[in-house]
Amino acid sequence: MAPILKTLGNPFVKNVLSAQETLAFAGVVISKVFSRRSYNSATKTVLVNQIYFTAVEILPLFITVSIIFGSLLIGIVFAVIKDLGLAEYLGSILMGFVVTELAPFITVLLIALRSSSAIDAEIAVMKVNQELNTLSLFNIDVLDYLFVPRIVSGMVSVVLLSWLFSILVLGSGMLFSIFIFGMGLDTYVNALINSTKFSDIVIMLLKCMTFGFFITLIPLRFGLRASHELTSIPVAVLNGMVKVFIAIVIIEVLSLILRFI
Amino acid sequence: MAKNIERKVGLFILITTALIVASVVYIAYKKDVFTPTHTYTLSSKSGDNLTEGMPVVFSGFKIGKVEKLELNDNGLVMIRISVPRRHVKWLRTDTRFVLEKPIISTPRIVVTTTNFVHPLLDEQTVREMTVTSDINEIVKMIQPLLDRVNSIATSVDKLTAALASPQGDLSRTLANAQVLTSKLSQKNSLLEMAVADRESVKSVEQALSQVKDITGQINAILKKVDAMAVKTDASLYGQDGALVSVSKILKDLLAKLQKLETTVDNVNRMSTDAVGATGDLKGLRLDLEATIRSINDLAGNIDRLIPLKKEPEIRLP
Repeated sequence: MAPILKTLGNPFVKNVLSAQETLAFAGVVISKVFSRRSYNSATKTVLVNQIYFTAVEILPLFITVSIIFGSLLIGIVFAVIKDLGLAEYLGSILMGFVVTELAPFITVLLIALRSSSAIDAEIAVMKVNQELNTLSLFNIDVLDYLFVPRIVSGMVSVVLLSWLFSILVLGSGMLFSIFIFGMGLDTYVNALINSTKFSDIVIMLLKCMTFGFFITLIPLRFGLRASHELTSIPVAVLNGMVKVFIAIVIIEVLSLILRFI
Repeated sequence: MAKNIERKVGLFILITTALIVASVVYIAYKKDVFTPTHTYTLSSKSGDNLTEGMPVVFSGFKIGKVEKLELNDNGLVMIRISVPRRHVKWLRTDTRFVLEKPIISTPRIVVTTTNFVHPLLDEQTVREMTVTSDINEIVKMIQPLLDRVNSIATSVDKLTAALASPQGDLSRTLANAQVLTSKLSQKNSLLEMAVADRESVKSVEQALSQVKDITGQINAILKKVDAMAVKTDASLYGQDGALVSVSKILKDLLAKLQKLETTVDNVNRMSTDAVGATGDLKGLRLDLEATIRSINDLAGNIDRLIPLKKEPEIRLP
């Protein structure tokens, strides 16, 4: 009995401690993010580069994916709404499901797949190559120089790209409503406006920021866990990405709870 | 290269931020965030189904929303609704506020104004809100039906329990039916199974055969009787039938009786006369006897005068 309990308890305790450490680390990073001293010219350059690599460089792919996926999704939603005779709930479904839930989720998945893994690998490689020690030797704050720009860039990118995704999906919906379902533009816009709540928008923005924060923080933290061996790099990336997806699910669930309480 | 990246990032942030701001401002504008609003107060005995942000609807259009819900010192729920300036015209002193609770959709406050000649509603006036509930109305209507359904369900429950029970009537009936059908399959007829005796079955069959013969004979008799009845009908009711003759005879008899009545009357008169005449009969007899004696005397005298005849005979009248 005792070995079984030990087998069950060890991973649980380890995960709880890991989550605790991550949250403590998050607290430190947040204080750095909101500290003016964290931002200097080097940090700003890294921030611009990071936003470029995270959000701008992915833009063509993101827009293409958003249009294709958004059109398909809107088509399905419209067809289901029409079949079930729920046309009066069109606005609620689009705003409540597509815009406030699906757009951040798809965006964060795309960015996590592309940027989180890259950040994780980059920091792990820097750890293996002892570049982090070198930065410390030059009295460069690793948190300021490496972490804060990436985390801020992650938050900004997810917020902006989510909004862009929402606008593209709603644009697809507008085309569908006008050309396929014969719904007037005013009707479509009014349905959306009547279903929009500012509280939902605020929750969506907060959720996007939280997504952006954790999908960069967790890879940074797991990248730091790499040892000085090259073989530790894939392990760090693997563990970091798994935790990123767990964090995404937890944040999604928490946001849903927040919306409906 | 770095400048190019900065430009691209700047452009991206600018455009996307502009999109966000523009869409938020547009939504705010469409939701009358920038429009001055008027606040009105309604009162209700209950705060059930009331929520902040609930729409206020006039003729199906949203003209405002519930801003705040409060409980005053008298235990009444005070509902503060905000209405944009352009919709204030729909609220008059005769306006009624009704909380509608549809079955499917969310509750809403429906504004009804019948006469727009009345002055505009004062913001300081506290109006009472009434409540209608589709669900409650339907529940009231359905309640008797539900009671009946419940009763039926109870009966069905009992029925199914009885059906499922091995000791139940149906189970026993089925068992009996099974025995019956098995017995029936072994017998030549239902009658044989019922009486359980082949001889009796034969007797019954013979009896039935006899009944069949008797029935045939009765049929033949009935045909004869029918033919006789036809003839009797003709002899009684035909042109030369007995009834026609009797009728003629009776008519004749009646005529004769009428004649006879006259005769009887005459006889009566005659008898009356005869009664009167009998009074003179004695005198007449005396006269007749005197006449006869005279004639006897005359005949005696003649015999004595004329003795030609040995036995003279005189016939009296």
